[in-house]
Amino acid sequence: MEQIHNIGTQLDWAVLVIYMITMLLFGSYFAKYNKDTNDFFFGGRRFSWWLIAMSIVATGISSHSFIKYSAMGFKYGFSSSMSYMNDWFFVPLFMFGWLPIIIYSRIRSIPEYFERRFSPFARFLVTVLQLLYLIGYVGIGFLTMGKAIMPLMPEYFSFFGYQIHVTLMGLIWVTAAITGIYITFGGQTAVIFTDLVQGTMLLVAGLLVFFLGISYVGGWDSFWNLLPKSWKLPFAGFNEPAEFNSVGTFWEDAIAGSVGFLFMNMGLIMRFMATKSVHEGRKAAAANVLFMLPISAIVVGGGGWVAKAISVMNPSIIPPDINPDSVFIVVSNILTGPGVFGFVVAAIAAALMSTVSTLVNAASAIYVNDVDRPIRIWLKKLSRDKHLPEKKAMLVARISTVGLTLLGVLAVYAFVSYPTVYQAHAFFHATLTPPLMVAIFFGAFWKKFTPAGLITTVIGGISLMLLGNRFPYELIRPIAHGTPYDPVHPYTYMSALYNLIVCVSLAVLTTVFRRQLKKLSDIIIDSKKHFIMYPIIGFTVIVVVVDILVAVLKLETFSLELLLTSTILASFFVALISTHYIKYDAERQTQGLTIWSINKAMEMYKGKKVNEREGEVVKVHWKLIKDDNDDVVNFSERDMHKMAAEVGDLVYISDARKYLGGLKSVHSVYGEPHNEDGIVYIRKRHLEHGLFVDGRILIAEKEM
Amino acid sequence: MPTFFNSWLPFIYLYVGGGIFFIAGLILIRKTKALDMRLKRHRFWWKVLIFGYFYFMAIHAFLIIAALYL
Repeated sequence: MEQIHNIGTQLDWAVLVIYMITMLLFGSYFAKYNKDTNDFFFGGRRFSWWLIAMSIVATGISSHSFIKYSAMGFKYGFSSSMSYMNDWFFVPLFMFGWLPIIIYSRIRSIPEYFERRFSPFARFLVTVLQLLYLIGYVGIGFLTMGKAIMPLMPEYFSFFGYQIHVTLMGLIWVTAAITGIYITFGGQTAVIFTDLVQGTMLLVAGLLVFFLGISYVGGWDSFWNLLPKSWKLPFAGFNEPAEFNSVGTFWEDAIAGSVGFLFMNMGLIMRFMATKSVHEGRKAAAANVLFMLPISAIVVGGGGWVAKAISVMNPSIIPPDINPDSVFIVVSNILTGPGVFGFVVAAIAAALMSTVSTLVNAASAIYVNDVDRPIRIWLKKLSRDKHLPEKKAMLVARISTVGLTLLGVLAVYAFVSYPTVYQAHAFFHATLTPPLMVAIFFGAFWKKFTPAGLITTVIGGISLMLLGNRFPYELIRPIAHGTPYDPVHPYTYMSALYNLIVCVSLAVLTTVFRRQLKKLSDIIIDSKKHFIMYPIIGFTVIVVVVDILVAVLKLETFSLELLLTSTILASFFVALISTHYIKYDAERQTQGLTIWSINKAMEMYKGKKVNEREGEVVKVHWKLIKDDNDDVVNFSERDMHKMAAEVGDLVYISDARKYLGGLKSVHSVYGEPHNEDGIVYIRKRHLEHGLFVDGRILIAEKEM
Repeated sequence: MPTFFNSWLPFIYLYVGGGIFFIAGLILIRKTKALDMRLKRHRFWWKVLIFGYFYFMAIHAFLIIAALYL
């Protein structure tokens, strides 16, 4: 395949640099809204749905989409949009299950949920998986960024007579250094607002390339008629070719990927945590999946589609054997003039940075909450009921972002061997998503799911997944729906189905047989033969280590039958060990933490019975009470009646200017009413967090 | 002309396979009262959820017909 270099002009480089600097300045302006780590990570939980929806577009599109979907669009056609049009199936469970659970439980990270729902060990396992997931995603982001910028670069730089060759990994290291600086000083508010600009520019850039391309080939009819029939279908072939097929995409993307993105991507979850209410989060989710994703499918795939049409019309302009990962950049350069091309590349590069910053910000939140804090508690440097001083916590957050950025670059080495970013991403999803997906789903939606179920799913499931990776022909082929066997990257997509089957099976079996496991554990306790657990633990550890070595080093020392039998036995032992050692109170640890007790979760969030009466939004002027700093605000009796509110209910007050998207807003509690209609009395703390402007009208609405 | 295997079968697979997960989700949120039909807002969301499924189905069906016959 032909590798492109040196495209673009000096004007394009100038646009790129100016754009980057503008974004950095724009982002840093919002740093003043970072009063504490709550603001730094969750933006003060105050934003409107449209701001969050736009931010999700920028985060979702930018990481890898332009490159990978244009590449697949060029090779396979409109079916490259499949991944953007199959996310609806899990939206009910997200909107009415996971979203309210994470908001009402006031967790600061997904692993924290697992400690409350299951045990500290469950938190540890999920922390490891989450960090791997996020760092892997950062790696994919860097790889894409490198591939996007590579065609602009010369083959080498001359420096005092020395030639420095431009390599993909070299470029990634340089990009990572720049991004690392940006992330370390940015906060969630800055990220959300830069995403608003970047998201808009991404949509403009992608649509611009698509429509210019249609015009270039002579209009819609000409475009449509140039393309082969099979190429215009919205789905790839059912089970072939190996590198892109419908059934594989269904299991890898519609099932594992959609859940991965919606339910367990901490970066995305933090976006929803930044919305002002659950209702607003639902609006953001619906708007994103229903409207933004179909538009995004055109934005990211359009470059590849018009490139194909140009390639059919005139192969000398775009050769059919061009490197697919370069297609978007090449076609953008052909269709846009100097300067505009710089704008297109700047929009992509900066937005790629925003995605990486989101993910590193999320990984940092997990590091601060789930690694640093538990270690300090374990070392007795911090008591369980206390938090690290904010200044120190911010320092830890910033240092961790540097470390996590470096790990993200190292992760690139795991994906760089794949022929396209699309396949690298698919392999990543298929491998890491299933155990976490099963853990989250069964944890949130099945109240009988126990810590033993979760731990067996993760440890036993991963061991069986490793065997699937080592023996794909024997274990995955029977369920692969006839997709071809590629010996280099076998069953990149269908491994998702195999991984799901093994994880779900272990989760269900351990939960169904939980009473029998408890009885067995009680027998060991009653007989006082605790020592019997030691060889069981030893055997289990050995089997898991052997499975890892067999998969990583591709060992042929042991037969599949032996490995499979011993892994299933070890999984049973994991279930027994977990049941034996982990203390679990099913009643207490499911209260408000599963979909079966959402109403209880709302009561716990509010601290008293929920007021479900639906009221109106009111407009008010604010007055400051200087001599008390309680977290209550006072409205008139009539305004409270309009809002259907009672003393003690939760209220959200915001600057009435809708375009601010809730930037100047605050959550509080209704205090005793007065009789000055149209006036709200606020305290100093509300003014500091809400940054309300003197004389500006506020709007207020009851939360619950 | 692309075969049924490569045109309508992926469509059927997606909406039957995905539909099983979707309907299971709808049943679960109703059964657990996470979606409470007594509330006006929730009744609105119920309609949006069902609309969304058929909305994507209609888009995909239209695109297949366009690819095959237009």
